[in-house]
Amino acid sequence: MAILEIKNLVAHFHTRKGIVKAVNGISYSIESGQTLGIVGESGSGKSVSQLSYLRLLPSPPLRIPNGEVFFRGNNLLTMSEDQLRTIRGHKISIIFQEPMTSLNPYLTIGSQLVEPLIIHLGLDKKTAWKEACEALDRVGIPEVEKAMKVYPHEFSGGMRQRVMIAMALTTKPEILIADEPTTALDVTVQAQILELLKKIQKETGMAILLITHDLGVIASMADKVVVMYAGRVFEEGPVETLFERSAHPYTKALLKSTPRLDLTQQKIPVIGGTIPDLTQIGEGCPFYDRCSYRKDICKSIFPQNRNVTQSHQTFCHVEEL
Amino acid sequence: MASDTLLKVTDLKVHYPVRTNYFNFGQKKFLKAVDGVSFELQSGEVLGLVGESGCGKSSLGKALLRLQEPTSGSIELLGQNFLKLSGETLRKARPQIQMIFQDPYASLDPRMTIQATLREPLEAHGLWTGKESLKTIHDVLDRVAIPTTALQKYPHEFSGGQRQRIAIARALVLKPKIIVADEPVSSLDVSVQAQVLNLLKEIQKDLKLSMIFISHNLAVVKYIADQIAVMYLGKIVETGETSDLYQNPQHPYTRALISAVPIPDPKIEKTRKRIDLKGELPSPISPPSGCTFHTRCPIATESCRRETPQLKEHGKATWKVSCFEVN
Repeated sequence: MAILEIKNLVAHFHTRKGIVKAVNGISYSIESGQTLGIVGESGSGKSVSQLSYLRLLPSPPLRIPNGEVFFRGNNLLTMSEDQLRTIRGHKISIIFQEPMTSLNPYLTIGSQLVEPLIIHLGLDKKTAWKEACEALDRVGIPEVEKAMKVYPHEFSGGMRQRVMIAMALTTKPEILIADEPTTALDVTVQAQILELLKKIQKETGMAILLITHDLGVIASMADKVVVMYAGRVFEEGPVETLFERSAHPYTKALLKSTPRLDLTQQKIPVIGGTIPDLTQIGEGCPFYDRCSYRKDICKSIFPQNRNVTQSHQTFCHVEEL
Repeated sequence: MASDTLLKVTDLKVHYPVRTNYFNFGQKKFLKAVDGVSFELQSGEVLGLVGESGCGKSSLGKALLRLQEPTSGSIELLGQNFLKLSGETLRKARPQIQMIFQDPYASLDPRMTIQATLREPLEAHGLWTGKESLKTIHDVLDRVAIPTTALQKYPHEFSGGQRQRIAIARALVLKPKIIVADEPVSSLDVSVQAQVLNLLKEIQKDLKLSMIFISHNLAVVKYIADQIAVMYLGKIVETGETSDLYQNPQHPYTRALISAVPIPDPKIEKTRKRIDLKGELPSPISPPSGCTFHTRCPIATESCRRETPQLKEHGKATWKVSCFEVN
């Protein structure tokens, strides 16, 4: 059974310049032990969709006019703040892209690490400290006792991201949301961090929701992939079939326009135009202006999901690509 | 020096003084961002400069334009000793080498119209001739596929990709021979990145420009560069033709770097072997002794700790590797 299920989620920002339609009715689910990759460009709504139901965005301007998000059968959108607090940061943890801005520069690593343990698990300070040390050890930080007493600026980017992972994992979450966890890191450090996430997932069986714009990271990490564009899900399916038999013009174009290390490319085919203004999104397919397969119907109606295989679905009016 | 060598860099060093205590008592320390780099750039060639953050690739790029004065070494630009130039002669030489920066949000002045942005380099170099220059501006805008209606607009009216095109136009307006592009597509989304990359490639071919393309993204560099130089802690550890270097990397760092890049194909990723590098980049203020890579190198020996390897030819003149184990 799905551990997290998002149904028809809509998230809009009401601003002076109009309604920014960041997320426009998305649905997907994730199971225990699975890694779901959410891929999309900036402004596709891949982060907002997660942050919105966890109530990590200021509301107003955020409004969620529609949708349900079930965690183990309970709707996160309708539960009280107190109930949500027992889940967020405990059963569902997050690591963010920029480890420097998500760690508090005024507090030592140790005091930030024990916080979730004391708040969520109700441990006393001493046990929490011990647990935190173990957590740091698990993510491969040397000289744990010393590391607990330093401030974030004394660590490199990769080490800080390890600290973030350790912090997210102290409460033994069932879902780890990793929002561009390696984007700010160098490739060799990225490889270390991704390897670490894989190892921990194997040990704990947690689900990982990996948000990234890097198709390479998706290919090496994800079991299932959701492709997002302008607040919509365009395609969803198992990683192999989605890469091999992508059934949406955007996915296809995105894969082709990525420079690759293993191929010799003379000219990369590009997707013309730019991402649409999120305040100007209508009922039609937001990719209409840039799509080379577009039909008249695409302009006015966003397509229903269509099964390519049982587990692979696409949202496109055009069947033959 | 070959006749079509535009740029010859010899033993270039960029050291930044580091404040160790408030009054700078005692021994001064230096951050050796670029520590003895030599290379040549031929006419019409694209040199890709790759490495991880802190390896000195951007410092090197800036030093080539003297936006950052090198500490020592020499730069020969079109046969002139570029570092010895000053005043009017320096100003005359500068249009030959121009730069494109990473972040088009920061590199364009928000208070200047596009016309003023493109006009400024011409005026600064005393090349503004009114009508004729205006035509040049129209031409470069056309080349980067920005409509001339843009001239009266401000940078905030454009998307990231369009701004980077404008930044490219600004670099082209002086008709340079060499362009130094420092991570020109890193802040752009994949779909826009491909547009800008293709544009750069096209312009480079059409105008027969030489280019130094600095990037941490190995796939992007592979697409655009003819020659690659891999940097680690201020030094070039391997340099060679793109096809040689990617197909058969010699230096253990190049190998690790290439193996660390995930490939967007799950089938390949499943069976791919990664070369794990231990730890992280050492501080460039006190780099390791001997070969600076020995602390993370999987094949380091005792002598790597003590002696510093030099760039040596590997099989052919264009391919050089700085490693005891390879040479």
